[in-house]
Amino acid sequence: MQWRLIKTEPGALMEDVDAAYDEDLAKSVLVGNLQDLVAWGRAHSLWPFNFGLSCCYVEFATAITPRHDIARFGSEVMRASPRQADLLIVTGTVFRKMGPVVQHLYEQLLAPRWVISMGSCSNSGGMYDIYSVVQGVDKFLPVDVYVPGCPPRPEALLQGLILLQEAIAKDRRPLGRVIADDRHQLSNTPNQRDLRTPERMQATTLAEPNSVGDAPLSADLLSSEPRRTEKK
Amino acid sequence: MSELAQQPTTRTGVAAELMARFEPECLYQETVDGIATLWVSRNRLLDVMRYLKHEIDKPFPLLFDLSAIDERLREHRAGQPASDFTVFYHLISLERNEDVRIKVALADDDLSLPTLTSVWPAANWYEREVFDMFGIDVIGHPNLFRILTPPLWEGHPLRKEHPARATEMDPYEMSPEIKHEQQEALRFVPEQWGMSTEAKHTDFMFLNLGPNHPSVHGVFRIALQLDGEVLVDAVPDIGYHHRGAEKMAERQSWHTFIPYTDRIDYLGGVMNNMPYVMAVEKMAGIEVPDRAKVIRIMLAEMFRISSHLLFFGTFAQDVGQMSPVLYMFADRERLFSNIEAITGGRMHPMWFRIGGVAQDLPDGWDTMLRDWLDYMPKRLDEYDSVSMNNSILKQRTVGIGPYNTQEGLEWGVTGPNLRATGSDWDLRKKRPYGGYDQFDFEIPVAANGDCYDRCWVRVQEIRQSLRIIRQCLDNMPSGPYKAIHPQTTPPLRERTMEDIETLIQHFLNVSWGPVIPSSECSVNIEATKGWNSYYLISDGGTGSYRTRIRTPSFPHLQMIPLISRGFMIADLIAIIASIDFVMADVDR
Repeated sequence: MQWRLIKTEPGALMEDVDAAYDEDLAKSVLVGNLQDLVAWGRAHSLWPFNFGLSCCYVEFATAITPRHDIARFGSEVMRASPRQADLLIVTGTVFRKMGPVVQHLYEQLLAPRWVISMGSCSNSGGMYDIYSVVQGVDKFLPVDVYVPGCPPRPEALLQGLILLQEAIAKDRRPLGRVIADDRHQLSNTPNQRDLRTPERMQATTLAEPNSVGDAPLSADLLSSEPRRTEKK
Repeated sequence: MSELAQQPTTRTGVAAELMARFEPECLYQETVDGIATLWVSRNRLLDVMRYLKHEIDKPFPLLFDLSAIDERLREHRAGQPASDFTVFYHLISLERNEDVRIKVALADDDLSLPTLTSVWPAANWYEREVFDMFGIDVIGHPNLFRILTPPLWEGHPLRKEHPARATEMDPYEMSPEIKHEQQEALRFVPEQWGMSTEAKHTDFMFLNLGPNHPSVHGVFRIALQLDGEVLVDAVPDIGYHHRGAEKMAERQSWHTFIPYTDRIDYLGGVMNNMPYVMAVEKMAGIEVPDRAKVIRIMLAEMFRISSHLLFFGTFAQDVGQMSPVLYMFADRERLFSNIEAITGGRMHPMWFRIGGVAQDLPDGWDTMLRDWLDYMPKRLDEYDSVSMNNSILKQRTVGIGPYNTQEGLEWGVTGPNLRATGSDWDLRKKRPYGGYDQFDFEIPVAANGDCYDRCWVRVQEIRQSLRIIRQCLDNMPSGPYKAIHPQTTPPLRERTMEDIETLIQHFLNVSWGPVIPSSECSVNIEATKGWNSYYLISDGGTGSYRTRIRTPSFPHLQMIPLISRGFMIADLIAIIASIDFVMADVDR
């Protein structure tokens, strides 16, 4: 904060005083409506439910660990109980035998709650068009963001999370209690393929299939070195 | 394919002994895998099994596999007795290093046979699966309920008339009523399992753990009977992860089933491809070139390390260590950089092909891999001091959930879980497959068979796998990465672009699928979690007639009640973690 002394002689320009006052005010007081503030807070404190169905869960777990570090996006608070979580990431195949359980867990999540469908199975059944598999979790749950892949890379899940956060930040829900359908679904999560295809079509150089590319060497990846203790 | 055995004198090994004793109620069948396969009548089944388990010289203590075949639509059955449904039993003798497969023919109007639970306790779940999948009645079974499908399921999925696709069935519905009905059907009823709800001085508490719980490693449910915090008994409940892989195999071509194998043990990646492609190659008569063999072994061992690292981290986490799992996942990422550079995939590269591997190794793979091989041992030393020598971890795991080799075999335990008990049975040494006989490595063996030893064996195996990978790196043979054979799918690309015959081969094998001669073959390998075998039956088509996937985790889970009775709930968590299973490997 800057401090200035202004002479308050009669006839001095009051604009100087006002400008300083406004500047201070802008730095210390946030004026907006409560809905914006709540939406902003919700977007950046998503608490995922520790819930896994199959292979995708391993990539979800990888997103929590050092190289990807979901904590950068404020979502590292994994909750083992659905009652303490507000984000359900459906990680993997939704089995018919598991369907009622998934539904039950979803109902136990705190409202407002969001659902990310992670991976092909959860999106549509994927490669498992088979008697024991529900063809997509959206057959019974409202899904906010779909992350494609089998399984999606952790980076893809993180991108899905960011898209969800952006959508939540723009979403407006009633703040008080109202009688309404609680299956409120985000409307502003557009299909990324449609958005990005023109840009991707511009690519002219593709990676050589017979090279290892610019993958980093193990020794270069020191971001998560355990603290070394002195050897006796 | 097969001929009826007219001269039993030509048989050797267990086949000769069985024929000598049970002829004429015993027929020999030729199979490609060379496993003695004998048909016995239903009335003599128990006699034959008791003879093999108890009376025969060097007996067969391990009931390796048990399942059935719906034979009603099979065309090529020359030399086999008439049968609508065949139940088969695969036994292994470690002393003899020999297998035997017993088959029982059943008629459609009389689908029943006696239970083997009195001979092998491990038969319990396998027989429930046979009932669930085929509708075969197992007489005398203590609890013949559905095991993989939901309790209210109608029909038996592996029967040929059952639809394979979800899209052929009624759309999935979930109303509050349906949800309630299904949840109620899953309710655990102690009396159903012969459990009493009270004892002389106490009322038992029943606790439902799972199917969604952070420490059950997937969608696994176990109902606990508790006296205070002490476990009196437990009933594992599986089937929440049943993806119908065996039914899927009947609908995909031989080639297009490969991606599904990756997802059986989803931590094992290409390790799962191995028994499958090896069985197909055996049936087609393909000899895989050396370079492909070494590449396969190298990748398989990389995935063994990946799987063991994940096991090690979560095991330490489950007994209270929060940090190691984060370090180990970071190392796993470093390994994935290598796997990704070579295969292009991470968890499911589906990189093996019938006749070889998908691609040759990329330029620069060796530098990258050598760097990682140099880096890894130091980390393992660190993990030894952080975890394996940690006194709290030891207190939580030493002496917890023990069993000995004999109990292990009785319950179908294989792999690291068996080697923790003092048995040195590793298929890579005892029955070297795919070129393992060319490598120099040791088999780590522990003695006590408790949680700590099960972890210790795996940690040592990581070091041995590093040794094998280094040998692959230093001695990678040159030559083609795929066999030159009409059934290689797809054929070598260089040749496809060269001549029209190979182009046609490529087109047919990829679009319709390679035609594999009618035959039966099973291949058993040392996978990350134990013995994984694919028993394939070809009816001379472009896809499998019946694929039986024997996974190690299935019997391992069945054993949980036996090894956890009398321990505390917290010990159960350590036991579950030490078994190292994934539910996809249990329910398939």
